Amino acid sequence: MSRNAGSDVKAAYLFIAPAVIGFGVFVGYPLIRSFYLALTKYNGLTDPVFVGLGNFRRLFTTDPAFWPALRATGYLVLLYVPLSLVLGLALAMFCNQRFAGVRVVRTLAYLPVVLPAVATITLWKFMLDPQVGLLNTILDRLGLPTSLWLQSPKMAMPSVVLVMLWGVGGTMIIFLAALQSVPTELYEAAKVDGAGPWSMFFRITMPMISPIMLLQVILQTTAALQTFNQPKILTNGGPGFSTNVLMLSIYNNGFPTLGRIPQLGYASAQVWVLFVIIIAVIALTAKFSSLWTYSDNN
Amino acid sequence: MTTTEASLPAVSEVARPAKKRPRAIGTTAWYVVALFICAVMVVPLLWMITIGLKDKTAVFDIPPRLLPHEFHWSNFIKGPQAIHFPRLFLNSVVITALSVLGGVMTAMMAGYALARLRFPGRKVWFYLFVGSMLLPGVVGLIPLFQMYKSIGWYDTWLPLIVPAFLGGNPLFIFLARQYFLAIPYSIDEAAKIDGAGHLRIFVSVMLPLTRPAWLTMAILAFQASWNDYLNPLVYLYSSGKWPLSVGMASFISPFAGKTPDWSYYMATNLLYMLPPLIIFFAAQRYFIQGLGALGSTNQK
Repeated sequence: MSRNAGSDVKAAYLFIAPAVIGFGVFVGYPLIRSFYLALTKYNGLTDPVFVGLGNFRRLFTTDPAFWPALRATGYLVLLYVPLSLVLGLALAMFCNQRFAGVRVVRTLAYLPVVLPAVATITLWKFMLDPQVGLLNTILDRLGLPTSLWLQSPKMAMPSVVLVMLWGVGGTMIIFLAALQSVPTELYEAAKVDGAGPWSMFFRITMPMISPIMLLQVILQTTAALQTFNQPKILTNGGPGFSTNVLMLSIYNNGFPTLGRIPQLGYASAQVWVLFVIIIAVIALTAKFSSLWTYSDNN
Repeated sequence: MTTTEASLPAVSEVARPAKKRPRAIGTTAWYVVALFICAVMVVPLLWMITIGLKDKTAVFDIPPRLLPHEFHWSNFIKGPQAIHFPRLFLNSVVITALSVLGGVMTAMMAGYALARLRFPGRKVWFYLFVGSMLLPGVVGLIPLFQMYKSIGWYDTWLPLIVPAFLGGNPLFIFLARQYFLAIPYSIDEAAKIDGAGHLRIFVSVMLPLTRPAWLTMAILAFQASWNDYLNPLVYLYSSGKWPLSVGMASFISPFAGKTPDWSYYMATNLLYMLPPLIIFFAAQRYFIQGLGALGSTNQK
């Protein structure tokens, strides 16, 4: 028995070794290193110069682009996350019914999620073209008002969110799995008691899926805070600074684009601002979750 | 995973209230909504194919024509030629194949150790791996870029491949562990009595038993790598080494304000989408199952 246990330990460390090394190199090291870099002035060529909180001071006081970047990021999150959760849940409830063709609807709703982001985003860039795009053509034929979409400072961010929402099937599929794990007897009992669809939704469905809702709020918000592909490809931050989200700002500051000298320390400071926001969102969501999530302690 | 399968019949039970709606109006409204959802998802893709078949200049007709005037099948040849498609396609295939192999293999190994072997620190490692799922990827962006640069990996494929061989995806480790926990321990006892070591048990007993788990992971890993844009954009400078994602994005943002050839682009875009599309329709079950496991984990 003891000999057996000994070989277990050796084997276990051999099996787990790649993941442990990976954890150190790709999680531990960057975490420490990026914190250090955030406190330095560093262009990637000469040695980093320690500047303390100088980068943060510059961010919050003198950088004209930082507050707009924060505002754009916040706007994106506030617009995208609630819409994605509501639409995703509605779609999941729709697809959780039994009717002929439900599998087709489910499959097609999930289809955009599996397609490469670059492919779908560029497709939408063309769809949103004010003159030759399909969206304005359809709106025009229906007699509805058209828009400049990505070219208008007001509509640019809503358009970016619209493109992101095309992938709502990802949210749907997780809600669908949650809905399917709600015990049917609950609905049957409620029906016997004469409950209508709305009270069944608020008293059975919502409480039962609330842990998944919590997970979704956290996952969607942290993902939305790190949105890069859509603003990069659709607008590259424009028009003006209207879609210049934090990730785009980090990318532009940190990597050699168009012959600019990278400011790695400065970009790392922005990374840490974003990181702190993400941690705060997770902590707050988790802290207040007891107010609205139902937990079954059995 | 078993939870999802077991609860599948429940779907039909839940469905009954809906069937009680007033027949004619209810059903019609239901199908109008269903059709609308399908249209929103499919019309952009059909539009893409239409553009891909149009003449270069017909793309700019105002108002746009819904169907091509004449079919320019040659776009499917000329478009790909414009970005050296075969080269980029091959790059994507190699990068993706290696990162799928590495990601699945190391996650399965870690999952096996965490679920079935007793060793000090196994809980700690499990929580560290799971916790790192919440760590935003952006934190690693700059230090890792610097690290790769200093060891000469900048402008090579190594930053896109090597992390996968080091347990790159903590979600996979989590999924693998969940799956391994569900397998009865008497199976390895029996194998041990027959004189099999851990490597033998892992390869010839566990891998066949966990086929759905690693197939799911392989599909998700394929998708993640084939679709990845930010990492190759950051790490690859030479256009000859780009995967399709970066090549496609550069297709429509040419220098000197030249208008992109949208008909060429859309034809090529369809070719770029084809592999994930084919895999999706061939293996739908695994897509749903893999995420279903994520959906039901908090319910246990």
